[in-house]
Amino acid sequence: MQRANLERAAAHYSYLRGWFSVAGGLLFILAALANWEAGPFQHAWVFPLGVVGIGAACLPIARFYNEHYGRISVSTRQYVRGAITVAIGVAVMLGLSSLLRSQADWSLDLPVNAIAISFALIMLLSYAVGVGLRAHHVLIWATLLVVGAVPVWDGADPSNIGLVLAGVALMVSGVFDHRLFVRTFGPSRRLNLEDSGVGA
Amino acid sequence: MERNDDLTLDRLIHEPGRLAIMTVLSSLRDADFVFLQRTTGLTKGNLSSHLTKLEAAGLVEIVKRFVRKKPNTNVALTAVGRQRITHHWEQLERLRNLSESGDEHAAVPV
Repeated sequence: MQRANLERAAAHYSYLRGWFSVAGGLLFILAALANWEAGPFQHAWVFPLGVVGIGAACLPIARFYNEHYGRISVSTRQYVRGAITVAIGVAVMLGLSSLLRSQADWSLDLPVNAIAISFALIMLLSYAVGVGLRAHHVLIWATLLVVGAVPVWDGADPSNIGLVLAGVALMVSGVFDHRLFVRTFGPSRRLNLEDSGVGA
Repeated sequence: MERNDDLTLDRLIHEPGRLAIMTVLSSLRDADFVFLQRTTGLTKGNLSSHLTKLEAAGLVEIVKRFVRKKPNTNVALTAVGRQRITHHWEQLERLRNLSESGDEHAAVPV
Protein backbone atom coordinates (compact mmCIF):
# COMPACT_ATOMS: atom_id res chain seq x y z
CA MET A 1 0.00 0.00 0.00
CA GLN A 2 1.34 3.39 -0.94
CA ARG A 3 0.41 5.77 1.85
CA ALA A 4 1.39 8.82 -0.16
CA ASN A 5 -0.84 7.79 -3.07
CA LEU A 6 -3.83 7.31 -0.79
CA GLU A 7 -3.26 10.63 0.95
CA ARG A 8 -2.88 12.39 -2.40
CA ALA A 9 -6.04 10.90 -3.88
CA ALA A 10 -8.02 14.02 -3.01
CA ALA A 11 -5.43 16.31 -4.61
CA HIS A 12 -5.39 14.17 -7.74
CA TYR A 13 -9.17 14.30 -7.86
CA SER A 14 -9.22 18.10 -7.51
CA TYR A 15 -6.40 18.96 -9.89
CA LEU A 16 -6.69 16.38 -12.65
CA ARG A 17 -10.36 16.66 -13.71
CA GLY A 18 -9.06 17.85 -17.03
CA TRP A 19 -12.34 18.45 -18.84
CA PHE A 20 -12.81 21.51 -16.63
CA SER A 21 -9.46 22.83 -17.89
CA VAL A 22 -10.63 22.31 -21.45
CA ALA A 23 -13.67 24.49 -20.71
CA GLY A 24 -11.43 27.05 -19.02
CA GLY A 25 -9.12 27.18 -22.02
CA LEU A 26 -12.08 27.78 -24.28
CA LEU A 27 -13.06 30.70 -22.08
CA PHE A 28 -9.61 32.26 -22.51
CA ILE A 29 -9.90 31.97 -26.29
CA LEU A 30 -13.39 33.46 -26.24
CA ALA A 31 -12.07 36.39 -24.19
CA ALA A 32 -9.38 37.04 -26.79
CA LEU A 33 -11.90 36.89 -29.62
CA ALA A 34 -14.16 39.29 -27.73
CA ASN A 35 -11.27 41.71 -27.21
CA TRP A 36 -10.53 41.58 -30.93
CA GLU A 37 -14.25 41.96 -31.70
CA ALA A 38 -13.70 39.22 -34.25
CA GLY A 39 -16.63 38.04 -36.34
CA PRO A 40 -19.78 37.66 -34.22
CA PHE A 41 -17.90 38.99 -31.17
CA GLN A 42 -18.35 42.50 -32.49
CA HIS A 43 -21.77 42.21 -30.91
CA ALA A 44 -21.60 42.91 -27.18
CA TRP A 45 -23.96 40.08 -26.22
CA VAL A 46 -21.97 37.28 -27.86
CA PHE A 47 -19.21 37.00 -25.25
CA PRO A 48 -21.57 36.84 -22.22
CA LEU A 49 -23.57 34.24 -24.11
CA GLY A 50 -20.39 32.28 -24.71
CA VAL A 51 -19.51 32.47 -21.02
CA VAL A 52 -22.95 31.19 -20.09
CA GLY A 53 -22.59 28.40 -22.64
CA ILE A 54 -19.24 27.31 -21.25
CA GLY A 55 -20.65 27.50 -17.73
CA ALA A 56 -23.53 25.32 -18.80
CA ALA A 57 -21.10 22.84 -20.35
CA CYS A 58 -19.41 22.50 -16.97
CA LEU A 59 -22.57 21.02 -15.48
CA PRO A 60 -22.44 17.74 -17.42
CA ILE A 61 -18.69 17.66 -16.85
CA ALA A 62 -19.26 17.92 -13.10
CA ARG A 63 -21.98 15.29 -13.29
CA PHE A 64 -19.67 12.94 -15.21
CA TYR A 65 -16.91 13.17 -12.60
CA ASN A 66 -19.34 13.03 -9.66
CA GLU A 67 -21.27 10.01 -10.88
CA HIS A 68 -18.34 7.95 -12.16
CA TYR A 69 -15.66 8.93 -9.67
CA GLY A 70 -17.51 10.16 -6.63
CA ARG A 71 -17.75 13.33 -4.61
CA ILE A 72 -15.40 14.74 -2.04
CA SER A 73 -15.25 17.70 0.31
CA VAL A 74 -11.78 19.02 0.85
CA SER A 75 -10.50 19.77 4.31
CA THR A 76 -10.46 23.32 5.59
CA ARG A 77 -6.68 23.28 5.33
CA GLN A 78 -6.81 22.32 1.65
CA TYR A 79 -9.51 24.91 1.01
CA VAL A 80 -7.41 27.67 2.58
CA ARG A 81 -4.33 26.44 0.72
CA GLY A 82 -6.29 26.55 -2.55
CA ALA A 83 -7.62 30.03 -1.85
CA ILE A 84 -4.15 31.32 -1.04
CA THR A 85 -2.78 29.76 -4.22
CA VAL A 86 -5.50 31.44 -6.30
CA ALA A 87 -4.92 34.79 -4.59
CA ILE A 88 -1.16 34.56 -5.14
CA GLY A 89 -1.76 33.47 -8.71
CA VAL A 90 -3.97 36.45 -9.49
CA ALA A 91 -1.53 38.83 -7.81
CA VAL A 92 1.41 37.35 -9.72
CA MET A 93 -0.44 37.47 -13.00
CA LEU A 94 -1.47 41.09 -12.59
CA GLY A 95 1.80 42.25 -11.09
CA LEU A 96 4.10 40.40 -13.44
CA SER A 97 2.08 41.36 -16.50
CA SER A 98 2.20 45.00 -15.47
CA LEU A 99 5.90 44.84 -14.69
CA LEU A 100 6.91 43.12 -17.91
CA ARG A 101 4.77 45.09 -20.28
CA SER A 102 2.11 47.67 -19.60
CA GLN A 103 1.29 51.37 -19.79
CA ALA A 104 2.50 51.83 -16.21
CA ASP A 105 5.46 54.15 -15.69
CA TRP A 106 7.33 51.44 -13.79
CA SER A 107 6.83 48.83 -16.51
CA LEU A 108 9.97 47.36 -18.02
CA ASP A 109 8.15 47.40 -21.36
CA LEU A 110 9.95 44.31 -22.61
CA PRO A 111 9.16 42.78 -26.01
CA VAL A 112 7.68 39.68 -24.36
CA ASN A 113 4.21 38.22 -23.97
CA ALA A 114 3.48 38.97 -20.32
CA ILE A 115 0.17 37.06 -20.23
CA ALA A 116 1.80 33.90 -21.55
CA ILE A 117 4.74 34.17 -19.14
CA SER A 118 2.74 34.91 -16.02
CA PHE A 119 0.05 32.30 -16.72
CA ALA A 120 2.66 29.64 -17.44
CA LEU A 121 4.43 30.40 -14.16
CA ILE A 122 1.16 30.29 -12.21
CA MET A 123 0.22 26.92 -13.69
CA LEU A 124 3.65 25.44 -13.06
CA LEU A 125 3.49 26.62 -9.44
CA SER A 126 -0.07 25.44 -9.00
CA TYR A 127 0.61 21.91 -10.25
CA ALA A 128 3.92 21.72 -8.40
CA VAL A 129 2.22 22.59 -5.10
CA GLY A 130 -0.98 20.65 -5.72
CA VAL A 131 -0.09 17.30 -7.26
CA GLY A 132 3.53 17.54 -8.30
CA LEU A 133 4.64 18.31 -11.81
CA ARG A 134 4.21 15.60 -14.42
CA ALA A 135 6.05 15.43 -17.72
CA HIS A 136 3.16 16.90 -19.70
CA HIS A 137 2.83 19.82 -17.26
CA VAL A 138 6.50 20.70 -17.66
CA LEU A 139 6.37 20.31 -21.43
CA ILE A 140 3.21 22.34 -22.01
CA TRP A 141 3.74 25.13 -19.51
CA ALA A 142 7.47 25.48 -20.06
CA THR A 143 6.76 25.74 -23.79
CA LEU A 144 4.26 28.53 -23.13
CA LEU A 145 6.79 30.22 -20.84
CA VAL A 146 9.51 30.05 -23.49
CA VAL A 147 7.21 31.22 -26.28
CA GLY A 148 6.15 34.16 -24.13
CA ALA A 149 9.70 35.02 -23.11
CA VAL A 150 11.19 35.04 -26.61
CA PRO A 151 11.78 38.77 -27.31
CA VAL A 152 9.78 38.96 -30.51
CA TRP A 153 6.61 40.47 -29.10
CA ASP A 154 7.38 44.10 -29.79
CA GLY A 155 4.91 46.32 -31.56
CA ALA A 156 1.23 46.09 -30.70
CA ASP A 157 0.05 44.70 -27.34
CA PRO A 158 0.27 40.89 -27.61
CA SER A 159 -2.07 40.22 -24.66
CA ASN A 160 -4.83 38.74 -26.77
CA ILE A 161 -2.42 36.37 -28.47
CA GLY A 162 -1.22 35.48 -24.99
CA LEU A 163 -4.79 34.67 -24.01
CA VAL A 164 -5.17 32.40 -27.04
CA LEU A 165 -1.87 30.65 -26.32
CA ALA A 166 -2.77 30.24 -22.65
CA GLY A 167 -6.19 28.93 -23.65
CA VAL A 168 -4.74 26.37 -26.05
CA ALA A 169 -2.18 25.28 -23.45
CA LEU A 170 -4.93 24.90 -20.86
CA MET A 171 -7.04 22.79 -23.22
CA VAL A 172 -4.12 20.52 -24.14
CA SER A 173 -3.08 20.23 -20.50
CA GLY A 174 -6.68 19.39 -19.62
CA VAL A 175 -6.75 16.49 -22.06
CA PHE A 176 -3.56 15.04 -20.63
CA ASP A 177 -4.73 15.68 -17.08
CA HIS A 178 -7.91 13.76 -17.75
CA ARG A 179 -5.90 10.85 -19.18
CA LEU A 180 -3.80 10.85 -16.01
CA PHE A 181 -6.99 11.06 -13.94
CA VAL A 182 -8.33 7.95 -15.68
CA ARG A 183 -5.00 6.12 -15.18
CA THR A 184 -5.16 7.04 -11.49
CA PHE A 185 -8.78 6.24 -10.76
CA GLY A 186 -9.68 3.80 -13.52
CA PRO A 187 -11.88 4.04 -16.62
CA SER A 188 -15.30 5.58 -16.31
CA ARG A 189 -17.26 2.35 -16.57
CA ARG A 190 -19.91 2.37 -13.90
CA LEU A 191 -18.88 0.59 -10.74
CA ASN A 192 -21.37 -1.61 -8.97
CA LEU A 193 -22.60 1.40 -7.12
CA GLU A 194 -24.92 2.51 -4.41
CA ASP A 195 -27.52 0.92 -2.29
CA SER A 196 -24.55 -0.34 -0.35
CA GLY A 197 -26.56 -1.01 2.76
CA VAL A 198 -23.95 0.77 4.82
CA GLY A 199 -25.35 2.86 7.61
CA ALA A 200 -28.84 1.49 7.03
CA MET B 1 11.94 -10.31 26.79
CA GLU B 2 11.12 -6.65 27.15
CA ARG B 3 7.84 -5.63 25.53
CA ASN B 4 7.47 -2.21 24.00
CA ASP B 5 3.82 -1.36 24.52
CA ASP B 6 4.36 2.01 22.88
CA LEU B 7 4.49 0.12 19.59
CA THR B 8 1.10 -1.55 19.88
CA LEU B 9 -0.68 -1.51 16.56
CA ASP B 10 -4.37 -0.80 16.25
CA ARG B 11 -5.82 -4.09 15.04
CA LEU B 12 -9.03 -2.57 13.78
CA ILE B 13 -7.26 -0.04 11.59
CA HIS B 14 -4.33 -2.24 10.62
CA GLU B 15 -6.40 -4.40 8.28
CA PRO B 16 -5.26 -3.24 4.80
CA GLY B 17 -8.71 -2.35 3.50
CA ARG B 18 -9.62 -0.32 6.56
CA LEU B 19 -6.19 1.27 6.68
CA ALA B 20 -6.65 2.40 3.08
CA ILE B 21 -10.11 3.81 3.80
CA MET B 22 -8.96 5.70 6.86
CA THR B 23 -5.85 7.00 5.10
CA VAL B 24 -7.86 8.36 2.17
CA LEU B 25 -10.37 10.00 4.52
CA SER B 26 -7.61 11.53 6.62
CA SER B 27 -6.79 13.99 3.82
CA LEU B 28 -10.41 15.04 3.28
CA ARG B 29 -13.37 16.43 5.14
CA ASP B 30 -15.56 13.69 3.67
CA ALA B 31 -15.98 11.49 0.61
CA ASP B 32 -18.72 9.36 -0.83
CA PHE B 33 -18.84 5.60 -1.34
CA VAL B 34 -17.94 5.81 -5.03
CA PHE B 35 -14.79 7.82 -4.38
CA LEU B 36 -13.69 5.43 -1.65
CA GLN B 37 -14.31 2.49 -3.94
CA ARG B 38 -12.27 4.10 -6.71
CA THR B 39 -9.33 5.04 -4.50
CA THR B 40 -9.11 1.88 -2.40
CA GLY B 41 -9.95 -0.60 -5.16
CA LEU B 42 -12.18 -2.54 -2.79
CA THR B 43 -15.27 -4.30 -4.03
CA LYS B 44 -18.62 -2.85 -3.06
CA GLY B 45 -19.26 -5.64 -0.54
CA ASN B 46 -15.81 -5.36 1.04
CA LEU B 47 -16.04 -1.61 1.32
CA SER B 48 -19.49 -1.83 2.87
CA SER B 49 -18.30 -4.38 5.38
CA HIS B 50 -15.27 -2.33 6.41
CA LEU B 51 -17.28 0.86 6.72
CA THR B 52 -19.81 -0.91 8.93
CA LYS B 53 -17.04 -2.04 11.27
CA LEU B 54 -15.46 1.40 11.34
CA GLU B 55 -18.78 3.04 12.05
CA ALA B 56 -19.52 0.59 14.85
CA ALA B 57 -16.17 1.49 16.41
CA GLY B 58 -16.95 5.20 16.19
CA LEU B 59 -14.12 5.94 13.75
CA VAL B 60 -16.26 7.12 10.84
CA GLU B 61 -19.58 8.83 10.47
CA ILE B 62 -21.82 7.70 7.65
CA VAL B 63 -24.61 9.79 6.21
CA LYS B 64 -27.01 8.41 3.64
CA ARG B 65 -28.63 11.04 1.50
CA PHE B 66 -30.08 11.61 -1.94
CA VAL B 67 -28.17 13.53 -4.58
CA ARG B 68 -30.03 14.21 -7.80
CA LYS B 69 -32.62 11.65 -6.70
CA LYS B 70 -29.96 8.94 -6.37
CA PRO B 71 -28.85 7.44 -3.05
CA ASN B 72 -25.43 8.62 -1.94
CA THR B 73 -23.43 7.37 1.03
CA ASN B 74 -21.13 9.98 2.49
CA VAL B 75 -18.33 9.06 4.89
CA ALA B 76 -16.20 11.20 7.17
CA LEU B 77 -13.69 10.44 9.89
CA THR B 78 -14.77 11.27 13.40
CA ALA B 79 -12.37 13.17 15.65
CA VAL B 80 -11.46 9.88 17.30
CA GLY B 81 -10.95 8.31 13.88
CA ARG B 82 -8.56 11.08 12.84
CA GLN B 83 -6.64 10.70 16.04
CA ARG B 84 -6.34 6.94 15.69
CA ILE B 85 -5.26 6.89 12.05
CA THR B 86 -2.62 9.55 12.73
CA HIS B 87 -1.38 7.56 15.72
CA HIS B 88 -1.39 4.35 13.72
CA TRP B 89 0.82 5.75 10.98
CA GLU B 90 3.15 7.18 13.64
CA GLN B 91 3.39 3.71 15.14
CA LEU B 92 4.20 2.21 11.76
CA GLU B 93 6.90 4.83 11.23
CA ARG B 94 8.38 4.03 14.64
CA LEU B 95 8.44 0.37 13.77
CA ARG B 96 10.17 1.07 10.50
CA ASN B 97 12.76 3.24 12.23
CA LEU B 98 13.33 0.53 14.81
CA SER B 99 13.86 -2.14 12.20
CA GLU B 100 16.25 0.09 10.30
CA SER B 101 18.22 0.82 13.44
CA GLY B 102 18.36 -2.94 14.16
CA ASP B 103 16.91 -2.79 17.65
CA GLU B 104 16.91 -6.45 18.75
CA HIS B 105 15.29 -5.83 22.09
CA ALA B 106 11.96 -4.44 21.04
CA ALA B 107 9.17 -6.97 20.92
CA VAL B 108 6.19 -5.66 19.10
CA PRO B 109 2.76 -6.63 20.37
CA VAL B 110 0.00 -6.56 17.76
